[in-house]
Amino acid sequence: MNEVLRIEGLKMYFGGLKAIDGLDISLYREETLGVIGPNGAGKTTLFNVICGVLKPTEGKIFLNGEEVQGKSSFEMARKGVARTFQISKPLRDISILDNVVASLGINEYTGFKSLFKKSHSKETVDKAMMILRRTGLEDFKDKKAGEVSLGYLRRLEIARALAINPLLIMLDEPCAGLSNFAINEVIELIMQLKEEGKTIVLIEHNLPISMKVCDRIVVLNYGQKIAEGTPKEIQSNQEVIEAYLGEDDDFA
Amino acid sequence: MYLIVVSVNIGIFILLALSLNIITGYAGQAALGHAAFFGIGAYTSAIMTSNYGFSFWISLPVAFMVSGIVGIGLGLISIRMKDDFLAITTIGVNFVIVALFQYSSFFGASLGMTVKKPMFFGMRMNTSGYLILITIIIIITCYFIHKMNKSWFGLALSSIRNDEMVASSLGIDVNKYKILAFSLGTAIAGIAGAVYAHHMTFIYSSDFAFTVSIGILSMVVIGGIGTIRGPILGAILLGAAPELFRFFADYRMIVYGGLLVLMMRFQPQGIFGNDSFITRNFIQAYKNIFKKKVGDIIE
Repeated sequence: MNEVLRIEGLKMYFGGLKAIDGLDISLYREETLGVIGPNGAGKTTLFNVICGVLKPTEGKIFLNGEEVQGKSSFEMARKGVARTFQISKPLRDISILDNVVASLGINEYTGFKSLFKKSHSKETVDKAMMILRRTGLEDFKDKKAGEVSLGYLRRLEIARALAINPLLIMLDEPCAGLSNFAINEVIELIMQLKEEGKTIVLIEHNLPISMKVCDRIVVLNYGQKIAEGTPKEIQSNQEVIEAYLGEDDDFA
Repeated sequence: MYLIVVSVNIGIFILLALSLNIITGYAGQAALGHAAFFGIGAYTSAIMTSNYGFSFWISLPVAFMVSGIVGIGLGLISIRMKDDFLAITTIGVNFVIVALFQYSSFFGASLGMTVKKPMFFGMRMNTSGYLILITIIIIITCYFIHKMNKSWFGLALSSIRNDEMVASSLGIDVNKYKILAFSLGTAIAGIAGAVYAHHMTFIYSSDFAFTVSIGILSMVVIGGIGTIRGPILGAILLGAAPELFRFFADYRMIVYGGLLVLMMRFQPQGIFGNDSFITRNFIQAYKNIFKKKVGDIIE
């Protein structure tokens, strides 16, 4: 199998706080990897390091065999790492359509030259509309992103990630704060992505969702990997159960 | 004659408001020292023509470039600082540059600088000439901004204005675009300065003081930030007001301040901004008229 992402001995310290402390993870093409763990386990920090928002204290990250740790966020995006945010971050004062068009332009932001290239060409708008149809946002295309409800914003996050046509999609709690109905819709969307052969990393607090969607799960606690395996293996892993039950009983 | 002089001044304000709008309206960066770049343009052109004998027509593009290059410096600052801190720093830049004009003998120090009116095809340019010149520059600037809004560049600025973290996750080099926005905005302010210097024929450091920056910002905010019509109408409104209410001139800053507070409270989009009371009603009225006509045709 083709290795898309490899993380070796990754460490991320914030002063004395060891958010990630020696992590090794591999991710293969067309695989969906779940990252779970109690609050403060380092899941979102891991995302931020992979996406180039944070520079790791130590360790290496390989994307398709190329060493990429310490690259900045926009470079990682151009290399095909798309992400969604735990707290939805739409471009609030522009329309949903423009949000997606902005993502489609990933290779167009060349600096001064980009002043002379029209963004809303027919081809780009058609592409954006296709993505909006897929994510069920077609009816809202002219609404400002700041005006639609959270469920649609989560879909917009995924739509934006899709528009980048990524090598790797990283979803940071795409179901957090949604109603059961909306959760099912998002899961359906993720399942579709899987079927299309996309490579996905998913952070999800809601264990049943992770179990359903992921091929393999990595469990983090205090910045370290405490378990790794198929959803079935993880479910019966004593250490995982302790980490979750010992930390916070909300997840039971 | 008086009317034309006022019109040229308003034209210069329009250009300043449009240029500040690129930085504040489109890229969403705080900039409270815009008058400094107005001044850099004015002094560049004044020194080139008065001290070194260059033609106004050469000093105009040079003023554009010098302001733009100093603007890059402000862009570099904006990478390190955000929001309130950036605002305060830009105020500081304004004061430093004005002090430079005021105390350095190279810039005429406290005597200011006298500037000659330029020649145009063997004739000395008169006030109407300036009106035509500034109108042409405004039209070019508007066309340019219109083009920018429809380009990837414009979309990149919109993304940065909304959320820098998201912008970079979309492959936008945030730092580069911020610097570009600052240098574009300040360069256009430089052109306004060059025209101003030659139109007034005398410039003095306090012409470019912090209060002028606030005046420009008021025009943008009161007119409607992030649109083309907003800064233009705002500049006309606030540019004409002191002429109409001359007896009130001493209290102008109080009125500006009061207007700004009222705008923030009741119409944060500006009087002519998208979604503002006037624009909404205007569009509605336009639609009604249009419908009626369609109805007539059908009947």
